[in-house]
Amino acid sequence: MGFGDLRSSSGLKVLNEFLTERSYVEGFVPSQADVAVFDALSAAPPADLCHALRWYNHIKSYSSQKKASGSVRPGGVADSTDSAPKASSKDEEDDDDIDLFGSDEEEDEEATRIKEERLAAYAAKKSKTAVIAKSSILLDKMEECVRSIVMDGLVWGQSKLVPVGYGIKKLQINCVVEDDKVGTDILEEQITAFEDLVQSVDVAAFNKI
Amino acid sequence: MAIRELSSLEKYLGLKKPNKYTTQGDRKVPVLQNNNGPPLVGLVTVACHLVKESKRAELLGSSAESRAVVQQWLEYRVTKLDGGSKEDVRTILKELNTYLEDKVYLAGNQFTLADIILYYGTHSLIVDLSVQEREQFLNVTRWFDHIQHMPGVRHHLPPVAVLRNRIYTGRHH
Repeated sequence: MGFGDLRSSSGLKVLNEFLTERSYVEGFVPSQADVAVFDALSAAPPADLCHALRWYNHIKSYSSQKKASGSVRPGGVADSTDSAPKASSKDEEDDDDIDLFGSDEEEDEEATRIKEERLAAYAAKKSKTAVIAKSSILLDKMEECVRSIVMDGLVWGQSKLVPVGYGIKKLQINCVVEDDKVGTDILEEQITAFEDLVQSVDVAAFNKI
Repeated sequence: MAIRELSSLEKYLGLKKPNKYTTQGDRKVPVLQNNNGPPLVGLVTVACHLVKESKRAELLGSSAESRAVVQQWLEYRVTKLDGGSKEDVRTILKELNTYLEDKVYLAGNQFTLADIILYYGTHSLIVDLSVQEREQFLNVTRWFDHIQHMPGVRHHLPPVAVLRNRIYTGRHH
């Protein structure tokens, strides 16, 4: 999903067209893809690109909300989103930046990012966690590590690789969680403990059973 | 119609026990009989009550200003949408379209009850619009598509297909 050079007006125009019918860059909820594109923009889009401007202000309000609520580890989110989009936006042109993440086997760049995000305030019985892998080889290893987290009341489900855009993929894994026994905080902490393999964790969806 | 909306709202809010509703008058105004207190009459009244009951007060707006905006749109639903005639439909859609040009949700940047209630209210209007008209009210279509895809909101209403590729690109303003 490339918009071209977002620092040029032609790239911004493409983004504007895209956002005419969409509230977010990917899907119907704010995601890391939105943050990535947001960071790639050098400034707010001009007022005549009204859809891009609307989207920009909206994403901006999220980042200020997140920082204010303190539910996000600012270091983790800011660093990962800074490094990832810069690498990924250049990825369109050259492959040099793959070394940033230490994987040069693949043409696609895969980066591990775990982002902490509170989508809903209410506790969830079932939640999906998205974990992003460093490279295809390490992905299996990472999945093993994630599945090795054993807790009373936690059951791992199926997993799949989901492309996020800019050649980045993330590991999305289902798990069923019982509110009383396991909290998503604890789970995310444990996943983040695998520091080498996992850059960020994001709860993609909460469903109550 | 209003009763179905309220039960959908209950499901969205995750309220375990569904309430029993009755209606009043020809316009079928919904009535909720509370066990202890007096009966609650009116779609907006009952909806706000349900939101507070499920402890999701943020759906009514998180600041004084956004709370006022939410109430404004709830009132709009009952007075303009439900009370309006066929000719008013275009005016309503135009107003909504202009309003939504720079906002993702009705209250600005936050999803609120106003979005839910207006989604229920405009569903029948949007369904009847032709493709050309949907592109004319582009912001309404975008907002509508967004709300109907939000998890848990769309229960009793069929999804409205929104074409991704615009046909009448010349009319884009």
